Amino acid sequence: MPDKSFDRRDVLSFASRGIGALALTDLLLRDSHAAQRKTTTTAQVSWPHFPPRVRRVIQVVLCGGLSQVDSFDYKPLLQRYHGTPLVSQRRPDVFFGQVGLLRKNDWLFRRRGQSGLWISDLFPHLAQVADELTVINSMYAETSNHTPATFQQNTGFRLNGFPTCGAWLSYGMGNETDELPSYVVIPDPRGVPAGGSINWSNGFLSARHQGVVLRATGQPLDELFPAKPIPSGTELASRRLLAGLNQRHLQRRGTSDALLARMRSYELAAKMQVAVPTVADLERETALTHRQYGLAGKTTSDFGRACLLARRLVERGVRFVQLFSGGAFVSPRINWDGHEDMIRNHGREAARIDRPLAALLRDLRQRGLLDDTLVLFTSEFGRTPFAQSGASTLGTGRDHNQNGFSVWLAGAGLRGGMTYGSTDDVGWQSVDQRVHWHDFHATVLHLLGIDHRRLTFYHNGIQRRLTNVHGNVIKDILS
Amino acid sequence: MKNAHAILLLVMLANAPLGVSSTQLAASQALSENAVRFDREVAPILATHCLRCHQGTSPKGGLDLSRRATALAGGESGSSITPGNPATSLLLQRVDAGEMPPDKPLSAAARQRLRDWITNGATWGTAPIQPTAARRAGKDWWSLQPLTRPGLPATQHDDWVRNPIDAFILRRLRDAQLTPTPSISPLLLMRRLSFDLLGLPPTPEQVLDFASHPADDLENRLERTLDRLLSSRHFGERWARHWLDIVRFGESQGFERDKLRPHSYHYRDWVVEAMNQDMPYNLFARLQIAGDVLAPNDPQAVIATGFLVAGAYDEVGQAQQSQAMRAVVRQDELEDVVGTLGQTFLGLTVQCARCHDHKFDPIGQQEYYRLTAAMAGVRHGVRHVISPAAKQRQHDLNQELTHLRRQLQSLEKTAQNRLLTAHTGLPENRPVRVQPVTRWDFDENQNDRFGKAHAIQHPAARRDDGALILDRDTGYAATHPIEFTLQAKTLEAWVRLANLEQRGGSALTVQYLDGQKFDAIVFGEQQPRHWMAGSEGYLRSRPFSASAETTTNAPVHVAITYQTDGTVTAYRNGKPYGRAYRTSKPLVFPAGKWMVLFGLRHGAPEAEKQMQGLLDCAQIYNRALTPAEVETSYLLETHRISRERAVAALSPVQQNQYASLRATIQLREKSLKEVKAFPVYAVAPRPAEVTHVLARGNPTSPGKVVSAGGVAAVPGPSADFGLAPQASDSARRNALAQWVTDNRNPLFSRVIVNRLWHYHFGTGLVSTPNDFGYNGGRPSHPELLDWLASELVTSNWSLKHVHRLIVTSATYRQDSLARPECLRRDADNRLLWRRSPQRLEAEALRDTLLCAAGQLNRQLGGPPYQDFTTFVSNSQFYRMTDPVGAPFNRRTIYRTWLRSGRNAFLDAFDCPDPATTAPRRAVTTTPTQSLALLNNSFVLRMAQRMVERITREAGPRPREQAAWAILLAYSRTATEEDLTVAAQFIREHGLAAYCRVLFNTNEFLYID
Repeated sequence: MPDKSFDRRDVLSFASRGIGALALTDLLLRDSHAAQRKTTTTAQVSWPHFPPRVRRVIQVVLCGGLSQVDSFDYKPLLQRYHGTPLVSQRRPDVFFGQVGLLRKNDWLFRRRGQSGLWISDLFPHLAQVADELTVINSMYAETSNHTPATFQQNTGFRLNGFPTCGAWLSYGMGNETDELPSYVVIPDPRGVPAGGSINWSNGFLSARHQGVVLRATGQPLDELFPAKPIPSGTELASRRLLAGLNQRHLQRRGTSDALLARMRSYELAAKMQVAVPTVADLERETALTHRQYGLAGKTTSDFGRACLLARRLVERGVRFVQLFSGGAFVSPRINWDGHEDMIRNHGREAARIDRPLAALLRDLRQRGLLDDTLVLFTSEFGRTPFAQSGASTLGTGRDHNQNGFSVWLAGAGLRGGMTYGSTDDVGWQSVDQRVHWHDFHATVLHLLGIDHRRLTFYHNGIQRRLTNVHGNVIKDILS
Repeated sequence: MKNAHAILLLVMLANAPLGVSSTQLAASQALSENAVRFDREVAPILATHCLRCHQGTSPKGGLDLSRRATALAGGESGSSITPGNPATSLLLQRVDAGEMPPDKPLSAAARQRLRDWITNGATWGTAPIQPTAARRAGKDWWSLQPLTRPGLPATQHDDWVRNPIDAFILRRLRDAQLTPTPSISPLLLMRRLSFDLLGLPPTPEQVLDFASHPADDLENRLERTLDRLLSSRHFGERWARHWLDIVRFGESQGFERDKLRPHSYHYRDWVVEAMNQDMPYNLFARLQIAGDVLAPNDPQAVIATGFLVAGAYDEVGQAQQSQAMRAVVRQDELEDVVGTLGQTFLGLTVQCARCHDHKFDPIGQQEYYRLTAAMAGVRHGVRHVISPAAKQRQHDLNQELTHLRRQLQSLEKTAQNRLLTAHTGLPENRPVRVQPVTRWDFDENQNDRFGKAHAIQHPAARRDDGALILDRDTGYAATHPIEFTLQAKTLEAWVRLANLEQRGGSALTVQYLDGQKFDAIVFGEQQPRHWMAGSEGYLRSRPFSASAETTTNAPVHVAITYQTDGTVTAYRNGKPYGRAYRTSKPLVFPAGKWMVLFGLRHGAPEAEKQMQGLLDCAQIYNRALTPAEVETSYLLETHRISRERAVAALSPVQQNQYASLRATIQLREKSLKEVKAFPVYAVAPRPAEVTHVLARGNPTSPGKVVSAGGVAAVPGPSADFGLAPQASDSARRNALAQWVTDNRNPLFSRVIVNRLWHYHFGTGLVSTPNDFGYNGGRPSHPELLDWLASELVTSNWSLKHVHRLIVTSATYRQDSLARPECLRRDADNRLLWRRSPQRLEAEALRDTLLCAAGQLNRQLGGPPYQDFTTFVSNSQFYRMTDPVGAPFNRRTIYRTWLRSGRNAFLDAFDCPDPATTAPRRAVTTTPTQSLALLNNSFVLRMAQRMVERITREAGPRPREQAAWAILLAYSRTATEEDLTVAAQFIREHGLAAYCRVLFNTNEFLYID
């Protein structure tokens, strides 16, 4: 059998979906020879540029802006200055224009793990895997406007129209599997981020590098099966007729890569029809795994399913899986944009992801996947250490802060349990070892064996890069 | 020599009346021609052979040859160049001696060029010199050379050659020892032409007509077919879609909010129409850059500027609190506009010079900002446009209405005065009632009788017996914000005071929403028992010096007029109340920013600001009434002479006349509404600010001021627009449009003919249609490119002329067969030994499915169809749907092109992201594409509709059904083998399954 994951159960589930099990068996067997030909064309660049540490990435994207001073950036002085005005030579230029009094962290910070990494009680489960995390506390962004900042987080540019990191990897590294897309996006079931598909766009790369949305609940992928049921015998005969007609056309018109590739794409499509439902079938996991990921819990099941699906995808060779925590800016809020009430907002959002995410890291570690998988935990920017309220009042919410915020990486043999860079005394501006998204991206590419200056695509006069013309690999976090 | 020059100059100056003489112009032109010649002929020699050592901070021998001053000054060995005297120029001596350059002597031709240059005065061009070098392009770059019309190669006499295009193609094929492929069959040629020019398959009748005739009359029939295709209205739809790719046309804002732009489709329709009408390309471009400036009264010209604002717009970014960050957003937006302009019309990536000089092309950072200055007034917006004819009609209607209303008023006046005289005995020469803009009579409710400014009571205030009761100090009423602007005005009220001791209450107030500024009819505030024109801080208040009120509970009429010149006059019971006075000009109450209060002076309710009594009626007029008008108003109200009562008093004949006038007025008002202006998404310019060069592109580091201008490396029109930095937006864009579209600008014509070639053959003569610079492709057939460009210019910029030349060439007619011996030599077919097969683009695929199924709705233009549902929850969201029905079965160009709501089916077939310009589309083959074509609900529905059509048109028998299906899908007649295979399949699995298979075949998806 050309496909290991293909078993009797798949065939039956296919049959029940109206697709002829026989058809697929027939196609897969008959074309096992063809399956060995490689027709998926990718970048002209030769990958890798040097031995990669990892081969795949899971990125958790927190929409709205995670407060660094309430999570990973411990600022004892902020507690002391609580309720006093910010003293700074620079006047804060915040998004909504209100600079209230300094507000201490709403969650208690403790030293965690053997490394003693500071993590607050906002993420009690993640705290248990603290030694896996490499925290960067000195991030800064170019804008405090959500959508351009989110674009920059994912593409390096503030504007529409650029490829995301996942699209770049799909283009630059190709795929390890024929049966699944190379770049998969799992949106928050409550809603997609503002800008929708712009957030996983191929930009100027060809459309095949666009992120493919898979759902962790319900039908995983659109158009995997006919919109109206077709009898299995008809499906089988149709595929045969199609192959025959294409073959005769090819004979008439002469050999052509394009025509051959199209014929081959139908064979790959048949394999996807088996592989996608299989990978999305979380029932195949043990009850213990379900418990660990919080699949039964009301608050944790959404993100638990997303995390578990992510693990199953990277296990099968998907290159880049992007999980979204939070969606667009709607009312009531469904993301991390805690303008009004930090305790309620961040408390609610963290409870959704904390346990599943910790389970994912443990699971990847236990399966040996964390060595060659990189996990990223990012947010478009952070939040202000002062409240979003009148100048002399202590409000309960925080505004956007592009000047300093935290992200973390895990896996890839990075130095775990460490922090890199720092913000000022109150966690407002990053001051030491500052990291721009370009540096972050350069580092991610480096771990994947890619020189960020050499992963390029010609578009409108420029050899475009994920890192524009900037970016320095953060050497100090590599072990 | 020198003296002769001086004398000539003196003569010129003496003769020149004012300004610059023509001789002077000629002299400076000669100078600039020499400078240009230097850039093209001499600079490359110096750059290639000398500059490696002789430039920079420590050049060899101290000689820096990159600038004129240092080159002339020479180095350690002394002066190197003596202008006009090659013999004494050290540089030439060393070169002639073969000493320089040290590695390889210069060619005789190069030496001669240096000699001529020095002889002619050693005029310098660009400093430092910027010629094409190993890693960048200079002014001598191929695409920056003036356009010349090349002669035809000797191959023009070959039998294969049908027009000059073929001569150029054949010569290169011969050079490469390749041969052209013979013509494709007439049927396939017709299919090719139809898709290429219309994006639609030929009709079955056309196919049958072609198939049933022998080839003898072929040329004639092809000629007629071509005429039909080029004049089809679908031609514009096809070629407009290509253009929309280039200009990144989208119908939503993009970024966070991604709101719909419901009025942007007018631009799409304008492009379709321009293509269909074969609008001269230079006009086509000019209107898109500055249509609103060139023809401000022509709605179509304004619509054309949709080009400038077709891109994304960061609404949240433009509205954020931080001014510094707003400035960055604005610069990003300008980069998008300037970049799109440069790429679209010139094939220049000017946006690369925002932060520094262009790394690869001769475009300075300053030139980027000159272009930015030219576009500095460009802003997104909705404009209301109206055609001159409609405007005239509007004018006529307004005049007629004025006339009709005057007649109506005259009738009303007669009746009103007759009644007034009867009641009062006053003479009949009173002015007619002036209609207030708002009126609250509290008779049946507290609504505004004329507008929407309804009063809302606040607790304790209530209405009874035709009055608003203000009997406790918490009671008052207020309106919502009022949507018109008020300045000169009259406030008028009828009140009954509950007591005379009250101080500071108001009968009627107009105030800003925050209550900080107001005008009011106030009682007893400064002076007990007296009326006053209340205002904030008494700014517009003075004592009227009139008599005090003496009785309670009697109706009192009070009116205050505020004239434009600042005169404030009060009236009581229709008569002047004390003395008028003059203050500052009346306060402006801007639309939406003010409201009306009843009983409360202003701001928040407090006892000392509130009136106690009854308010019978209140009115506001949008001008100051005359004393006679105030008196009339008072009298009419006192005697309860309503308009209805007045009209009833007219004679029957007059009443008829009155009714007919009223009816006519209503009709005319309705017509007026119908000819009103309509909204379009277009440029909504704002005054253009002075532009600075920004260090590293950063708005916080402004440098030198620049005025609007172009790129100097482009030959032909001057890049200096001769404008001041403060020039108006219209002057700037007008100059820009002229510069871009100048006949002498070689990029402008080369770029567009290359685009046409690209769409006809799948690859342009230059493979990068948006980039003719160093990083772009080199032309495969440079002379052909220039020949086509000069054809375009000499045909008065007719694109259809170029289309016709291309599709009637033997090159275009070649078969698409893969010939192994040619594939080995030229796999990419850059030499055009065949016409490469083309896969249907996403839109053509969907249109063809609709066509085959007989479902295509051929409606031209108008609002787009929506394949989504929307909901707004702070941001705009789109949920994609597969809507069923004729309104949605239109050509795909009429889809609403959202930036965030992309159509997965179209995307699978490489529909580009409308956020960025797509000069060429990717053609990919993926399993998800195959899944879409197999399983998509629209595809399956079209297969079903095709069954219904075939059954209707070809009957129930499988063989005939198959023949018809093949004709519809492939535009050819079926072979016996086709029919045998198909008939058996249809019998076993049905016709729908067969149609679905056809849709998935390569023969359906590829055009040979």
